[in-house]
Amino acid sequence: MPGFDPALELQRGSSISTVSYIDEPGQHDENPRPAVQMENTYQLGPVKRFPVLTVNNILKDVLTSYLQEEKYEAELCRQMTKTISEVIKARVKELMIPRYKLIVLIGIGQLSEQNNLRIASRCLWDPSSDTFASYAFKNSSLFAVANVYAVYFE
Amino acid sequence: DISALSGDAGVANISVDAAIGGSTYQHSRVNQWSSSVVENCLGQLTKLGKPFKYIVTCIIMQKNGAGLQTATSCFWDNTTDGSCTVRWENKSMYCIVSVFGLAI
Repeated sequence: MPGFDPALELQRGSSISTVSYIDEPGQHDENPRPAVQMENTYQLGPVKRFPVLTVNNILKDVLTSYLQEEKYEAELCRQMTKTISEVIKARVKELMIPRYKLIVLIGIGQLSEQNNLRIASRCLWDPSSDTFASYAFKNSSLFAVANVYAVYFE
Repeated sequence: DISALSGDAGVANISVDAAIGGSTYQHSRVNQWSSSVVENCLGQLTKLGKPFKYIVTCIIMQKNGAGLQTATSCFWDNTTDGSCTVRWENKSMYCIVSVFGLAI
């Protein structure tokens, strides 16, 4: 998009906001594929529903196995969040639920006596076919939160 | 469908400011703040009237020296779907808002 500045900074009074990351659609392919014409499938809803409990277990497994013994360190946890999100995405893909798009969100934070944070999310989607799975993990020095959102693609 | 995600970043900024603009971190009010940030944001996005499903996530954290790392990984259609993350801060807290838009 012309005139697009990825480091948009707004200063209003005492607060600052920065745009950390924008992922524009349609900019990744060096060889853009021709637009795919989709035919009607005459399918009204998902044939196989997203297995929330299975995915909850996957999240629990992955988080505990990667983070059980770790202490919070900025550089290590930065790599860890990227790795864990890729691992979770791969494992959920293995479940081969057709026609679902996935978004995996991981947060790893440091535990201190007064650490306070709240994570909230709201979604605009079709509740009969779209859903999410979530798991929170804690050890003595860090906590981790994993969310997987699954959106049905009609 | 191309979405004007820089427009969405603007929307996210405005919603956060509107909801918690001049406030100081208060544990009792965080629930209400995060809900209102997210609802505002989603409301503004729907007003844009684009054919997208949206997921909006908000993390509010008090500034006291502790660290936080987040990462997201997405399995979608690169040509039509996108995301945007805005980091907002004032003197007492950080707020990170992520918006994901998936084309219908």
